[in-house]
Amino acid sequence: MKKLLPLLLLAQGLLLAPVHAYVNDALSFAHETANPYFKKGYTVREDAWGGDLGVKDQQAVAAQLFKGNDYWFCLGTDVGGAVVTIHIYDSQGKLVDSEAWQKGRFAAARVVPPKTGTYYAIITVEKSPKERTGWGVVYAYK
Amino acid sequence: MTKTIPFLAAAIFLTVAHAVPAQTPPASIDLSKFPARAVSDVVVPVPSEIFVVLDKLGTPNWRAEQHKALGKNTGNRPQVALLLGTVIAEGFIAVEAEDSQRVKEIGRELLVLAEAINVRKAVIARCKSVTEKANAKEWQAVRTEFDGALQDVRGAMQELGDDDLAQLVSMGGWIRGTEVLTSVVQKNYSPAGAELLHQPQLINYFTNRLDRIKNTRLGKDGLVVRTGKMLVAIRPLIGKDDGSIIPVENVRRINKMTTEMVVAITSPGA
Repeated sequence: MKKLLPLLLLAQGLLLAPVHAYVNDALSFAHETANPYFKKGYTVREDAWGGDLGVKDQQAVAAQLFKGNDYWFCLGTDVGGAVVTIHIYDSQGKLVDSEAWQKGRFAAARVVPPKTGTYYAIITVEKSPKERTGWGVVYAYK
Repeated sequence: MTKTIPFLAAAIFLTVAHAVPAQTPPASIDLSKFPARAVSDVVVPVPSEIFVVLDKLGTPNWRAEQHKALGKNTGNRPQVALLLGTVIAEGFIAVEAEDSQRVKEIGRELLVLAEAINVRKAVIARCKSVTEKANAKEWQAVRTEFDGALQDVRGAMQELGDDDLAQLVSMGGWIRGTEVLTSVVQKNYSPAGAELLHQPQLINYFTNRLDRIKNTRLGKDGLVVRTGKMLVAIRPLIGKDDGSIIPVENVRRINKMTTEMVVAITSPGA
């Protein structure tokens, strides 16, 4: 059994690796999206959120945001040729982006919360050459 | 003519709708129709997100907000997890106070507590970096390291299958963060400052996480039960709707509850 253990662990690693790999890659693109804001004095949180979606599928990431702060939610995907978007809605479902942009596998939305409360970052895979598209989100604040 | 108006209106509407770029987001969405599986659990803010706002509202005396005692490891895992969270939050307060000596002490304490729950490796580099950056008085960088330490500790616990304990780390940080927030706000009350306490979804999330604890022993732990009761008691005090005014009396009550909770977490008999 002792001899088998490394092989079992290796097999597990190989099985898990692709799943983690695409999310990790998507997260690195999300960090790339956030880079310009870091240079502008925003603090980029080290936590990140990710997953995968089919084309036209959406995912909401709920976040507690504070009035007085200024946030950028930064999205990235590892799938070349994919188009992803991100927009921020308040707890009533009202769009509150003060700015948003989209460029292929990168997208970002800025929100200056008018009130302290729960907000929803809605992630959409608009187009993708793949059935499932990995995505990653980080946010920056100042 | 009157009959043609609806047709004209419909035609105009369709033309306008067609002209809108495909990626223009809808101005509003019905969140209740969003499939539950498509909504991630609420993102727990890091303490510095709140401190940044407090700094904009005034200049709190952060040194006066620091706690002398960081608490002791009692060997009780839920207590250590909660304590890890409070110690990291204390680190953020020390950064606000620009107290490099205190920051270094907290870095060392973090390492001791992490060892107690087998996640020392995950934070060694962070603690070393905390010390170096505190010596250099690079406060923004120290803040980033504490933020990263919180993430690393939670990540390491989750890898060990201790997701419930990982949540307790977040809750410990939130409790100490809320204690200091209410302390600062009540000393110089303003509705804008008190509004920072309006965190309904976050409290619901923490409460649900405690309700969902699978490990019976952990779920029945005295501190865990007490944390749950405190969250339920705080929920009606933080305003029903976004933007509603939270009176100073509520701020005081929340401060009392969180202060008592921090004492319970940090006391040797916890």
